[in-house]
Amino acid sequence: MNTQITSSLYDQCIATYNTEQKEGTLAAIRKQAFTSFQKNGFPSTKVEDWKYTNLKPFIQDNLQLVYGETSTALTKEIIESALIPGLDAYIVVLVNGQLQKTLSHQINEKGFTLLPILEATELPAFQQHFGKYTDVTKHHLTAVNTALFKDGLFVHLTKSQVVEKPIHIIHVSTAKTDFFTQPRYLYVVEENARLKVVETYITTTQVKAVVNQLTEVFVGKSANFQQYNIQTGDANAHFIQHTEVFQETTSVYNNYKFSMPGISFLRNNLHIALDGEHIESHMYGLYLSGGAQLVDNHTIVDHRKPNCQSNEHYKGVMQDASTGVFNGKIFVQEDAQKTNAFQQNNNLILGDKASVNSKPQLEIFADDVKCSHGSTIGQFNNEALFYLKTRGIGDEKAKTLLVQAFAFDVTDKIPDESIQDFVNGLIEEGLK
Amino acid sequence: MSTDLEILNQVEAEEYKYGFTTDIDMEILPKGLSEDTIRFISSKKNEPEWLLEWRLKAFRQFEKMELPSWQNFEMPEFDFQDISYYAAPKKKTQYKSLDEVDPELLATFEKLGIPLTEQKMLAGVAVDAVFDSVSVATTFKENLKELGIIFCSFGEAVQEHPELVKQYLGTVVPSTDNIFAALNAAVFSDGSFVYIPKGVRCPMELSTYFRINAQNTGQFERTLIIADESSYVSYLEGCTAPMRDENQMHAAVVELIAMQDAEIKYSTVQNWYPGDKDGKGGIYNFVTKRGICKGDRSKISWTQVETGSSITWKYPSVILKGDRSEGEFYSVAVTKNKQIADTGTKIYHIGKDTRSRIISKGISAGNGQNSYRGLVQVGPNAAHARNFTQCDSLLIGDRCGAHTFPYIESKNNTAMVEHEATTSKIGEDQIFYLNQRGIDTEKAVALIVNGYCKEVLNQLPMEFAVEAQKLLAISLEGSVG
Repeated sequence: MNTQITSSLYDQCIATYNTEQKEGTLAAIRKQAFTSFQKNGFPSTKVEDWKYTNLKPFIQDNLQLVYGETSTALTKEIIESALIPGLDAYIVVLVNGQLQKTLSHQINEKGFTLLPILEATELPAFQQHFGKYTDVTKHHLTAVNTALFKDGLFVHLTKSQVVEKPIHIIHVSTAKTDFFTQPRYLYVVEENARLKVVETYITTTQVKAVVNQLTEVFVGKSANFQQYNIQTGDANAHFIQHTEVFQETTSVYNNYKFSMPGISFLRNNLHIALDGEHIESHMYGLYLSGGAQLVDNHTIVDHRKPNCQSNEHYKGVMQDASTGVFNGKIFVQEDAQKTNAFQQNNNLILGDKASVNSKPQLEIFADDVKCSHGSTIGQFNNEALFYLKTRGIGDEKAKTLLVQAFAFDVTDKIPDESIQDFVNGLIEEGLK
Repeated sequence: MSTDLEILNQVEAEEYKYGFTTDIDMEILPKGLSEDTIRFISSKKNEPEWLLEWRLKAFRQFEKMELPSWQNFEMPEFDFQDISYYAAPKKKTQYKSLDEVDPELLATFEKLGIPLTEQKMLAGVAVDAVFDSVSVATTFKENLKELGIIFCSFGEAVQEHPELVKQYLGTVVPSTDNIFAALNAAVFSDGSFVYIPKGVRCPMELSTYFRINAQNTGQFERTLIIADESSYVSYLEGCTAPMRDENQMHAAVVELIAMQDAEIKYSTVQNWYPGDKDGKGGIYNFVTKRGICKGDRSKISWTQVETGSSITWKYPSVILKGDRSEGEFYSVAVTKNKQIADTGTKIYHIGKDTRSRIISKGISAGNGQNSYRGLVQVGPNAAHARNFTQCDSLLIGDRCGAHTFPYIESKNNTAMVEHEATTSKIGEDQIFYLNQRGIDTEKAVALIVNGYCKEVLNQLPMEFAVEAQKLLAISLEGSVG
């Protein structure tokens, strides 16, 4: 069975690695990842995790591996247009994963560190957590990232510190030729600390951008970490985002993911390991797709210890000829008694040629648990639509209202009002 | 009947020539699989040329295929050459009366409440039954004949109704479908054939009992049921197998074809030997079952109660081709000790306004692993297709597992697909309540489990439902306390 895609990009990645220096703290980790990539390559649709998503059209030969190229055209105006209205946040601007100090805010919070990832390699917190939560042998693209990354961020908040203002990270993709980048992020939120990060995306280029991002998150004992990911962009943008979260006892982690039409290809992997007792994890996702877009969300929630709670709610709206993929896995290990896990995926198919592939999975090895999942695929309630029309509301407006109502279960969970308004605005825009 | 006897006589006569190893009352082909094996089986059964060709083609397919690796359990090692592919009973009966039958077996029958005639049948007392590979006779044949219904062994059908067999064989489960289907197509020994003519409602439940009786002979049954326009049939399949130490593989193929306005109801109760407490022995049940709703407004319904076998691995499927056709799947799978069940269904919505309903109840006890794997696929032309899926898992004990792998694919924006799954254990309060009422814990568990499975058991024909309820209780004996 051929589980690899043949592409000259594979050879390019191999060649790039071979010309790199192979010393320093990361050498061993990189080598392991490289060996794994060399063996596994890019996954074909024969690999179960990529069954519905064919990478082949995106892993093209003419892609260049680009590092830290900055565009001079990037101005304050472009950045300002990417801000979330009304959100009082620290702004951090990254171009192709590289920190732009001139465009970013200076953050002077106690115990808070934010550094380009390669400048942090000697820090103890980095060494303690880096590469610990990602299995490069299992996930093909994390191996490429680990072997080749040069850009990205290290964000660290020490014990019992709280950063009240959210950190708003604006990712900018820009280059002169079609490119393939490997940004890498590591968030370490230590015991009792509290942090909130909002990520948004803009592309300013006319060339094809394939971004293979890997984020590792450590949430220490009783810490609280909120991560928002608002994915917008144009047809040039192709995102593969892999997030590995490791949670300790009594911690709370929330992930909010919003994918909007425009981006050609989106693949999100969100893996959460609940490695302690009384942990809470919440995942809220909304994917609204249009055109020929392919949106793929894969999540894994791994309950390892007793008395934890996880809650996942993903909703999708497929327009035009777009395709939505959802795969949610919940594992409840033998020790994880008294687990309470919930997973739901609802899809609304609006386009004539749109399709949805949903695969909610439960794997349970403990008996005293409460686990359930649900998945639905359907369309507008015609009666509701008719009701609105009889009240003098136009077809388009009525549909927008119904989609917003459908999305409400997810958008309502956003605690921050300005982000909520921003997302609602994006939904309205996305339906046009 | 006469043809069967003829075959038997032939088998006896040709014994030496083909180098038989002779058991007391079994004819067994030496272990191994090759084109010669297939030619031997085919000639033994006096098959026409086209069928031999068909078998050989399947065998060539089989040789190219590999064992799948996606299943959610560890695949036991297989040596297809280490199986004997043909076993025929020389005698029709094993015992003259029930008194000679193993009392332990009878005690189990007693608990199951199987009627005496059926007990005889199951135990191999002088009642005609499917006995190992050659089906010796089928019940009520004459009555059915009057209505024009054909219900006979596969071998007989090949001889007497070759045109029907030729027309439909392998149209639902092609030999290229999977490795076990290919193997079955190549070496199938016998099975059942049912044809219900236009507008006939079959007046009785058709049933057959399979028994795996000879050690080391994989059973390769083949069932083909055709319900012509506006007909109805309900078919029951029940299985028992005596204790065996060596693993036995059962790779049957069942094909159902429902024409316009026809309805087929297929029920299975499977309680083959599940292996001992350590998982030693037990049957491998790798069966390919599929039905097609060919005509408009046709309906196929699968009901299964799976309590036996060390590994149960099957996905009875329905292809909803006709407009407004309907597919149903009701399943109860019980695993205990080291038993494994990886079962579910596949429903393909192709025609317009097609409907399907899936109810799956998994019960895991001891070290049992229970997986539900299902596919609901809605094609681009299946306007207003409707599916509802519910799969629940019940866990008894802390060493067992329940897994759910549903695949839901929709390419139509008027389709409605729903899936829900829950996992839970038997509530202590429920047990306590029943204990309070003087019902001991074991009985209480049986009662709760039966209640939990009621939706599925209700789908079974009445006599079967009673049997299945008792079977569930027996299966779970000793799994609590």
